[in-house]
Amino acid sequence: MSTETGRVGEWSLFGHSLRRVVLYSILVGMGVFYLIPIETGIMTSIINPASYTGSFPYLPPLEPLVPGTGTLSLEPWQGAIDGLGQGLVNSVILVVPATIFSGLLGSMAAFGLTTISWRGQIGIYILFVAGIFIPYQAVLVPLTQFWYNVVPLQAVFAPLATLPFVQEYHWKLVALIITHTAYGLPICTLLFRAHYKKLSDEMVEAAQLDGASVSTIYRRIILPLSIPMFAVVFIYQFTQIWNDLLFALTIVQFGDAAVVTQDLVGIGVSQSGTNFPLRMAAALLAALPTLLVYIFFGDKFAKGVAA
Amino acid sequence: MRNPLTVLKRRLSEHREVRTDGGTTSAGSILDRDSVRSAPFWLPPFLLIGLFIYGAIAWNIVLSLTDFQGLGTPDYSALDFENYVVAFFGGTPSWSELTVSPIWNSAWNTVVLMVSFSVVCLALGLVLAILVDQEIRFENTFRTIYLLPMSLSFVVTAKFWLYMYNVETGLVNLFLGAVGVGPIEIVQNPDLKLAAVAFALIWQFSGYAMIVYLAGLRAIPTSHFEAARVDGASTVRMYWRVIIPQLRTATVSALVVLTVFSLKAFDFLFSMYGGYQPGPSADILATRMVREAYSNGNWAYGSAIAVILFIMALAIVTPYIYSQYKRGEL
Amino acid sequence: MAELTLDGVTKVFTEDDGNEIVAVDDVSVDIEDGEFLVLVGPSGCGKSTTLRMVAGLETVTDGEISLAGRRINESPPAERDIAMVFQSYALYPHMTVAQNMSFGLEESTELDDDEISELVDDTAAMMGIEELVDRKPADLSGGQQQRVALGRAIVRDPEAFLMDEPLSNLDAKLRATMRTELQRLQEDLGVTTIYVTHDQTEAMTMGDRIAILDDGVLQQVGTPLECYHTPNNRFVAGFIGDPSMNFFEMEVDGERLVSDRFTYPLTADQADAVGEARGVTLGIRPEDIGIDPDGNADSPHEFDMHVDVVEPRGDENTIHLTFEAGLDEPETFTATVSGLRQLQAGDSVVATFPPEAIHLFDADTEQALHNRSLDIPEATEQIV
Repeated sequence: MSTETGRVGEWSLFGHSLRRVVLYSILVGMGVFYLIPIETGIMTSIINPASYTGSFPYLPPLEPLVPGTGTLSLEPWQGAIDGLGQGLVNSVILVVPATIFSGLLGSMAAFGLTTISWRGQIGIYILFVAGIFIPYQAVLVPLTQFWYNVVPLQAVFAPLATLPFVQEYHWKLVALIITHTAYGLPICTLLFRAHYKKLSDEMVEAAQLDGASVSTIYRRIILPLSIPMFAVVFIYQFTQIWNDLLFALTIVQFGDAAVVTQDLVGIGVSQSGTNFPLRMAAALLAALPTLLVYIFFGDKFAKGVAA
Repeated sequence: MRNPLTVLKRRLSEHREVRTDGGTTSAGSILDRDSVRSAPFWLPPFLLIGLFIYGAIAWNIVLSLTDFQGLGTPDYSALDFENYVVAFFGGTPSWSELTVSPIWNSAWNTVVLMVSFSVVCLALGLVLAILVDQEIRFENTFRTIYLLPMSLSFVVTAKFWLYMYNVETGLVNLFLGAVGVGPIEIVQNPDLKLAAVAFALIWQFSGYAMIVYLAGLRAIPTSHFEAARVDGASTVRMYWRVIIPQLRTATVSALVVLTVFSLKAFDFLFSMYGGYQPGPSADILATRMVREAYSNGNWAYGSAIAVILFIMALAIVTPYIYSQYKRGEL
Repeated sequence: MAELTLDGVTKVFTEDDGNEIVAVDDVSVDIEDGEFLVLVGPSGCGKSTTLRMVAGLETVTDGEISLAGRRINESPPAERDIAMVFQSYALYPHMTVAQNMSFGLEESTELDDDEISELVDDTAAMMGIEELVDRKPADLSGGQQQRVALGRAIVRDPEAFLMDEPLSNLDAKLRATMRTELQRLQEDLGVTTIYVTHDQTEAMTMGDRIAILDDGVLQQVGTPLECYHTPNNRFVAGFIGDPSMNFFEMEVDGERLVSDRFTYPLTADQADAVGEARGVTLGIRPEDIGIDPDGNADSPHEFDMHVDVVEPRGDENTIHLTFEAGLDEPETFTATVSGLRQLQAGDSVVATFPPEAIHLFDADTEQALHNRSLDIPEATEQIV
């Protein structure tokens, strides 16, 4: 690996080694490549749609200082909030419990399949791991059949609709929560298992000798030691479930229970053409929760995806 | 004066006797009992995935053998392989009056997308990882920026790139105009749309490949870099001969994950094309399956395509899981 | 406190491919109430497996383990009333020292919080760790963690202590200190203890008795000096003592032992002990070999030697010797001499193998035929 200071025999340019200059140019160039679509989106999202020309989508709206850039307006964001409001609420109702359930159950499964070791557990575990790689298309039709024709969830839910904050269409979100919990379990189990394998066997044995039962070992030893991993898992699951479209499309299908990704697909298109400022504002609004999570907990997100 | 510790110790032993005498010990090995005692932890999650993943897959296979179409419920009394015959050879199935085209076009597109997307992602990710690994300043900032698109939804990515590719106002065409080309219709251009999809997906996921490779690079002991230096290898030769061969595990695991991502690219295409119709030159099996089932109501036929997609995923994943198992890394 | 009995204890592991591996083979040993037994052997000999069976962390394939006369084969670890100290200490990293020590009491007794904290405080004071009770394990040194691990075992006042190489992660100096302290502690508490180690020095210095295990089979149980002076077989003779005993493969020729290097006459007693055996292994400890740099090999027990290497250890030197007669195919053995003696590599010396110091083992069965005689007072004293 090269070091910060130039090595003997390297060409130099204004005191910096040419090698470093090229290196940083490429790194910055790639940074621009990854950021420019988002930057363009942000700039466009604060242009008054009436003044939008599209000539300089990457510049902030500076009219009348710079002609052709449009005038500043929060109207697109207002439109995005109006258009996606219901979807955002539904997504929150979906994501919070689904993330918590899949994380908790994943931790429990990993504990039962790792910390407590027994013959044959690897076979069960392989079924968990394989679940990560299943293309969801392979289960869509049965899932639709299951939630619409086999389980009378809608009928069960109808009487509850009289309760405050409960709507009849929430049954679709419940179905989606359960589905996402089940499909999030494999990756959560994998992440927790990787963590639990690193914990000392002797520590668990010491707890057994100390008189702790299996559930006590989980509650008092493993769970407190899992907190860093819960952060990783929750962030990963939050992003995955928030970003999903396919399950929502096939289980919610349409109507009041539509989540934010569904609402986003059709926004900003009308007979008169595409309203790009509105569309960009909506895309950014829908991405905002995951972007914020990523910006604040990026290292944990990286840990989750790298596993 | 009595020593309080002695008193406590006596109480301790009294309590314990109650315990030990009351404790029933069952015969049989502790190993066997561990699977049972841990069952409250692993069994409920296992049942959940057993029902929702493996039960659903089995059900899907059965559904693919029926003639289930349109509204109503499937009829399981007459099972046959007609849907697979139609999938491979086309024709007019018994459950429809229309001719149904075979899946070859979308299967071919799936493979092209999968291969081009994965290979470019890996190559770009490897280069970025090597560059980031040069003890640079602001390493965290660069890493964060490169991985940022990964946190976005397919739907959001599609919206951004739809804008980037736009004929009149898109940045891509502004750039092309600046170098004297275009403007070019990209999103609806049959010759370019699959490449456009692949490019946007590469933008989103190459950061992932970088993270995996970077972890792989960091796992190689510094002494290997130093030994190659001492042996007089140039930087390029050092990476080519010494370092990259050691990244095989990272490559395989990144490849498997990227391939599976590309099989799931449905969300992106659905959002980019505002519905089930990406058009023949960008149609992949994932979109074809959902369109047949949820747009055309050809449920059983959709299930059959899903089975084919599932088998493709299985063909990629099974050797991977098996090799992981053999190396004891599960 | 109670006696612990292992009767024909056997452990067979079945591998994934169906192969069976006998890790512990028919081990029987009685450990008296309050006794300190060291279980020693090379790595992989089954000593840890034996300990884990006593703890209840491994099932017993065959035989019986009983504590205070009660069979405990099937009891789960929690019900055995045993405390264990692990090589890695196995402290709970998220708990403070006090919480680490009280965990076992909370889980296996019905003492209330005040009683538990009183016991923990007293034990911490006894272990000299009362200053550390609010710290977490990561903030402690290795030696402090070791004390906490011991304290956690002691606070539960168990019937027996099991210790699995508890000192092996400490540096040499601290290890020597802890060895003494552990011994003193065990004597004070009087708790029956099994101590597993691969280090024969720990075995020699710490145990009331030592049990030597090789390849799953118990080789000898006895006091350290019994094992040192009267080993049952060649394995024990070679394992106990540092540097190891020297062995020479010899043929029996009447009342003499013959090899292509040298000939060694036997006493009448030794010849009787050899009996009908044809091949015999002659063993002699390095410290029993006499070295004279100036003398001549006059007696039949004296031999001309060539000094190959001298390893100074300060108090004594370990010298590697070869027979002058076999320089073309050197076979080295070791002798220890006082550190003050000046010897150089390449010197020629005369070595004495005193007849009272030799051990004889059957070359086929490796069982001891004759052990050194202990009726020479100064020899015994020197070793003690």
